[in-house]
Amino acid sequence: MNSPNNTDSLHPLEIQVLRALGKDPQPLTDLQLAQHTELAASQVSMAVGWLLTKQLVSLTSETTTTYVSLTTVGTQFQQAASPPEWILQTVKTAAQEGSSPTVKDLQGTGHFQPTELSRAIGILKKEGVLQLGTGGTLEATGQASATIEALRSLLNRVHEGSRPLDSFASDHQSLLRQYAVKRGNTQEPFRIDDHTERAYCLTDEGRNLLPHLREGAAQEISQLTPELLKDGSWRNVSFRKYSINLRPPRLAVGRRHSYREFLDTVKYKLTSMGFQEMRGELIETEFWDMDALFMPQFHPARAIHDVYFVKNPQKAKTIPEPFLSQVAQVHRDGGTSGSKGWKYEYDSERAKRLVLRSQGTAVSARTLAQNPPIPGKFFSIARCFRYDNVDATHATDFFQVEGIVLGSDINFRTLLGLLQLFATEMAQAKEIRFFPAYFPFTEPSVELHVRHPKLGWMELGGAGLFRSEVTVPLGVTVPVIAWGLGLDRMAMVALGIQDIRDLFTSDLEAVRNMRRQF
Amino acid sequence: MPTISIFQEDFCGLIGRSASMSDIEQWMPYVKGEVKDVSPDTGEVRVELQDTNRPDLWCVEGIARQIRSVLNKGMTPYAFFSDKKGAKRRIQVAQGMEAVRPYVAACVSLGYAMTPEGLDQCIQTQEKLADAFGRKRETVSIGLYRFASIAFPVTYGLVKPDEIRFTPLGFEEKMTPQEILTVHPKGLEYGSILAGCERLPLLWDSDGQVLSFPPIINSRELGEVQLGDTDLFVEVTGTDLSMVVLALNIFACNLADRGATIESVDITYPYKTEFGTTVTTPLDMNQSQRISLEAIEQALGMPLGSEAIQEALASYGYQVKATRQSVSVALPPFRNDLMHVMDVAEDVAITRGYDSFSPIMPQTFTVGSLSVEEQTSDRIRDLLVGFGFQEIFSNIMASHQELVDRMRIADTEYARLVEVDNVMSQTYACLRPSILPCLLRVEAQSPRAFYPHLLFEVGETAQLDLEANVGSRTTLSIAAISANSGANFSEIHSYLDLLMYYMVWPYELEPVTHPSFLEGRVGRIRCHGHAVGYIGEFHPEVLEAWQIDMPTSGFEFEIRKPEA
Repeated sequence: MNSPNNTDSLHPLEIQVLRALGKDPQPLTDLQLAQHTELAASQVSMAVGWLLTKQLVSLTSETTTTYVSLTTVGTQFQQAASPPEWILQTVKTAAQEGSSPTVKDLQGTGHFQPTELSRAIGILKKEGVLQLGTGGTLEATGQASATIEALRSLLNRVHEGSRPLDSFASDHQSLLRQYAVKRGNTQEPFRIDDHTERAYCLTDEGRNLLPHLREGAAQEISQLTPELLKDGSWRNVSFRKYSINLRPPRLAVGRRHSYREFLDTVKYKLTSMGFQEMRGELIETEFWDMDALFMPQFHPARAIHDVYFVKNPQKAKTIPEPFLSQVAQVHRDGGTSGSKGWKYEYDSERAKRLVLRSQGTAVSARTLAQNPPIPGKFFSIARCFRYDNVDATHATDFFQVEGIVLGSDINFRTLLGLLQLFATEMAQAKEIRFFPAYFPFTEPSVELHVRHPKLGWMELGGAGLFRSEVTVPLGVTVPVIAWGLGLDRMAMVALGIQDIRDLFTSDLEAVRNMRRQF
Repeated sequence: MPTISIFQEDFCGLIGRSASMSDIEQWMPYVKGEVKDVSPDTGEVRVELQDTNRPDLWCVEGIARQIRSVLNKGMTPYAFFSDKKGAKRRIQVAQGMEAVRPYVAACVSLGYAMTPEGLDQCIQTQEKLADAFGRKRETVSIGLYRFASIAFPVTYGLVKPDEIRFTPLGFEEKMTPQEILTVHPKGLEYGSILAGCERLPLLWDSDGQVLSFPPIINSRELGEVQLGDTDLFVEVTGTDLSMVVLALNIFACNLADRGATIESVDITYPYKTEFGTTVTTPLDMNQSQRISLEAIEQALGMPLGSEAIQEALASYGYQVKATRQSVSVALPPFRNDLMHVMDVAEDVAITRGYDSFSPIMPQTFTVGSLSVEEQTSDRIRDLLVGFGFQEIFSNIMASHQELVDRMRIADTEYARLVEVDNVMSQTYACLRPSILPCLLRVEAQSPRAFYPHLLFEVGETAQLDLEANVGSRTTLSIAAISANSGANFSEIHSYLDLLMYYMVWPYELEPVTHPSFLEGRVGRIRCHGHAVGYIGEFHPEVLEAWQIDMPTSGFEFEIRKPEA
């Protein structure tokens, strides 16, 4: 934050810490701060953290001390008895009753873990405090145990409060280490760990703020409640001012998918330009996907892209007439289209082969066969499939934005006019260029290049006048423009995506973060 | 769409003038080419050619020829096509070829000494024509030979697979055709073209020397053209006579452009062909045809006038004959792509330049509209977004494992899928019959995205339906899931209930059993009397299969068109 520190935005905890540091000429440790402010250690550390980032306090020293404290096990030992203590007492009590317990008997009482008992018995035997009688019985020799006494005194001393390890005599230190919690054994009475003690003092800026700290900060409230409103008591409290530049918490909200939203704008743009939406099926026959588009069944023009074939069933039941005969005719010899045709024997069975729709133009072909209104403008945003290796530029299925325009006034120049309109409407482009292109189903064919304000020169789409070999067999006698727009690159740049597969990502975080830059 | 390499210096030699890289780029529209890459050091330009009907442009000679023609406003016809003297050399086609690989065309090229770039381009052209135009040698394949060693006439006939031995290119020892098919890399690559043939095609000369085993491999002795060779024999074999002849015409023109003298070869068939029983190749197959100027003007939207059209076509390489009444045109012999007057119209537009046609803005009034399906989808999407759901957009292709196995529906009636025959990757082997697996995929991949997860998708699915004409139906579905520690039936039911309320779709839930959902916590959704989908808490085995650790419930139903 570059803005000067404002005392109003200080949290009450921060104010208390600042005051405590202001009263004492010496730097104060976390512990001292907690004592002076009567705050919990966690509150102090929170407030100090904030003040450090605001550079109102600074760290003056950092010392690491090793402390010894009691674990819950240790507290139990201190209040009752440590294992050696208990063993000696039990053996002595039994002896008074005239019996000698075995190790098994002691284990049978359920006090302490067997391993703990064996360790304690081992120590006591070594000290000569216990000895083994016949039949494995334990007997007290009457000698005093140094370990029991030392442990007792340590338990009592540490119970008063954790102490630095080096405040103990060195033999006691090694005993403490022996009985301290370690990895693999958590059932020990002592815990030895490092405490880093930090001391803080005010910075100059912090000191300058002191006279301006507001009074009664502790009574400030942070949240207005229904109760405060109901009884009007909000009038008697003051509201803490917030640091309004902190990042707010994230929300999980409902939202449209960014790529689909992009396609939504495309469809609204097209309807606003007078285009009517067409829909089709995902599974098509080769007839509608290719033959009707004058792509010959056995010819290089067919191999312009590879398709996915359906496994079962492999063929459609029928292809509607008169379209099958008319398309077959136009492939054979041109029929009545004014063309020579491809001059080959058309295979009506192959026409039934089922494929996953490989081009949106198949949807347009079906529309042409449905006696469409003239003049008419149509579009579809059709899911298409290509038999291709999936990589950063090829998705397994993707959308094609394409359509047709039918009218008696259609010609090459109105085709260019339509493309010019697309350039301004779809890409906000003022500069455009037309290039000759090749599509099996249009002649003449055009490629539209535009200068996009953000992307520079790019290919925006391809179009052409449908060949008579396409329109005539489907019963259309007026000229027809067929157009397709390649908008995915624009979408990817707008969404900040490099890999086309990410348009359909399954990563929810990525979906939530996706947004249109323009 | 083939991509080829051309070299600036070679190209300039062929067009007969100097040309900068930017000149070359500027002329690309004349050949529907796009420069993909330029290496200024070597002068190499990688060009992608778009037109699958213009194989003559898939080589530097053809590109240069077309551009040269436009720059010079016309081209001089190749004399060898009108050579009436009759050929000095002959290929005899033997009986039985009609059933195997019926056609052959050939020519002789004299006096052009093979330069390194000439040879490279020859090989490139040979490959592109045989591969892209000849469907990987199936319909067209090409062979080049050292002319001087061949004793004419040559025979194009059949041999038994082990009847003869010769040394193929790339090998040191003599092999039978059968051995070539089983051992030679080209035999393995192209052998399937001859599958089922008892006897195999072979070209041999009158001394009994083997020229080649088409369409597989040339002989090493006669068929290994080397730098400096001045005289070549070129043959094309294949299954479509027009394509075979066209490929030879292109090759002959290419060699002529490099300075060779082309001489014809007579092909004698024991059976009829569309060009007779003796065919002299190269052969100009194009006949002059009358064209309607009006049709061209109408198509281009401009009253260009007869002269301008004639000029444009002549520039582009057409032979144009005009009388007072009509104009007749013929394509040059290296082209065979004139099917319709619109093909001529496009060539006029290309020659004049597309930028010379001013666009006319569309004037006609039409009413734009979205389909009922799309409007319904949009309403549902708006509602679910308002309910707090994140929209998901998935691929429609998915794996059998995701759609069936992980959904716990293997071997049940729910496991009926539209699958693809030519699987590229098991990840994308089926069309989704349901959107829920796509949403579970998102959940499975996103355990670190903060919760709750409320996801939905409206989209197309494919239902196997053997009654339907195409064996399946494309349906539109809405699916939604809720994944969070408290997700349960009641929660997701609330969302479904609210959706149905606002869509004004009265519905009922019918208790059923469904393997994807927990028993007793699943219902079939019925709307207007139709069973349209399911709602429920996902079965823990489904969640385990997806490795989802969060309780998840969901619903999905088909959006039907309102009944008329």
